[in-house]
Amino acid sequence: MTLVNFFQLLVSGIAMGAIYTITAKGLFITHLATHRLNFGQGDFLMVGAFASIGMLAAGVPAPLAVLGVLVLMGVLGYLLERFAIRPLDRLGDRAGAYSWVLTTAGAALILQNIVELGFGKSAQYAPPLFSKTRDNVINILGVGIFFEEAAIIIAAFLIVGAFYWFLFGTRWGKAVYAVAFNPEAASLFGIDVRGVVVLVFVLAALMAGISGVLVGPLVSVHPHMGLIFTIKALAVAAVGGFTNPVGILVGGLLFGVAEAFSNYWDSAFGDLYPLLFVMALLAFRPSGLFGERRADVR
Amino acid sequence: MIEVENIKVAIGAVDILHDVSLRLEPGRLVTVIGANGAGKTTLLRTLSNVVTPHAGTIRFDGRPTAGIKPHVLARAGLVHVPQGRQIVPGLSVRDNLVIGADRVAGLDRDAIAAGLEREFARFPVLKERQHIPGGNLSGGEQQMLAVSRALMMRPKVLLLDEPSLGLAPQVVTTILKALRGLADDGLAVLLVEQLALLALSIADEAHVLQRGRVALSGPARDLRKDRAVIESYLG
Repeated sequence: MTLVNFFQLLVSGIAMGAIYTITAKGLFITHLATHRLNFGQGDFLMVGAFASIGMLAAGVPAPLAVLGVLVLMGVLGYLLERFAIRPLDRLGDRAGAYSWVLTTAGAALILQNIVELGFGKSAQYAPPLFSKTRDNVINILGVGIFFEEAAIIIAAFLIVGAFYWFLFGTRWGKAVYAVAFNPEAASLFGIDVRGVVVLVFVLAALMAGISGVLVGPLVSVHPHMGLIFTIKALAVAAVGGFTNPVGILVGGLLFGVAEAFSNYWDSAFGDLYPLLFVMALLAFRPSGLFGERRADVR
Repeated sequence: MIEVENIKVAIGAVDILHDVSLRLEPGRLVTVIGANGAGKTTLLRTLSNVVTPHAGTIRFDGRPTAGIKPHVLARAGLVHVPQGRQIVPGLSVRDNLVIGADRVAGLDRDAIAAGLEREFARFPVLKERQHIPGGNLSGGEQQMLAVSRALMMRPKVLLLDEPSLGLAPQVVTTILKALRGLADDGLAVLLVEQLALLALSIADEAHVLQRGRVALSGPARDLRKDRAVIESYLG
């Protein structure tokens, strides 16, 4: 492998890793506040990708298309909470402990089939978001890098930064922490717990949707692509320790880079090795690389 | 300020409270004492609508509270300081103080700043430690923080669930004195306590709760003299 090759793989890996990080953030925030997450997170990503392809193909300018995807995903996140999560919470002990796995995965199947009806089964490619052509290459220190990948990396880091700002800098982010700590106590000091739960599911959907918009130009998009993204986002969140937002960033980048190199060495089974590695890691460190082992507060 | 009439509460299939009635008035400190499991915590959770009674009525400011969500009641001035203090460990002392007040209608930035100054004067240790995580405070400091967090919301009624739990005696005295002061300034205070004699020494009025019923009520001064009675009820 040449040095140029190495850097190109590194950049591709960071671009995908940053997207996995954003997707996994969505899992992290709902898990933090509610101990539940969307098993269709990857399918929400798929919907975001198709929505942006559809709008771009119809001639909608890119910024408007992104805005449109965000609105659509926000509505989907709300509906998911309303119909797949809230009824189970109302049932309380009469609902099985992990019934939300089935309801969210079921919602994902519905989405897959709706998208398949609209767009067909075949793989599609999203037009580039940030440049005129897909193969627009820029030269950094003698290494040719796809402009699209570089722009996606920058966009992804801006989004991760915005996420941290929301979580640690705003009153709503603090409310999420209060609900994560103890929902009943949070309600006693004036926090609308149900509002926070809706908020985190909407945020998770937005993160999936943004990931979908960004991933469109990098990979082929088809209605059943979601499951592997759900699995990878879960793997990233698990490596990051699920409770540590910075760990998820590191975990996501590591995973993306590992995947890029693994695919270089074995193009047939390249996706497999990073997942095997995560499995082995979790066998020895169940709380991930960055998670603290601690008793559940609930 | 609060009128409770004949409430009955069950959790699951277990009856916890039977026909409990009481009144809270501005400027009065009422204490509910009783042994472990008598239903004291359930009584407070019912008043703040975390638990719904299956009979009886609760009125706050003259209006029935049935169906109002706990966070709405808290914002309206019925503030419940739960057992175990419930300080959010990852948030700073200052963030813990502001988190409730931030959501009360009519409390703008200036009012919150004034509230912080007032609470820092009440418990100076909170001012010194305002930037450290709430989880790093000692038990006594956390209890002060919990009381101040509630007061930041400008309550009309303050409900406290065993503020003495796990605290050193002199810290308990500091906190109970602060509560007496709050009642003297016109707040309606309901104090649930296991340290019956201490609670009686600062309260105006007391109710003894025994297995979900009010077994004995009266001016705290009278009950306090009646030690034999107290001891037989409290076990």
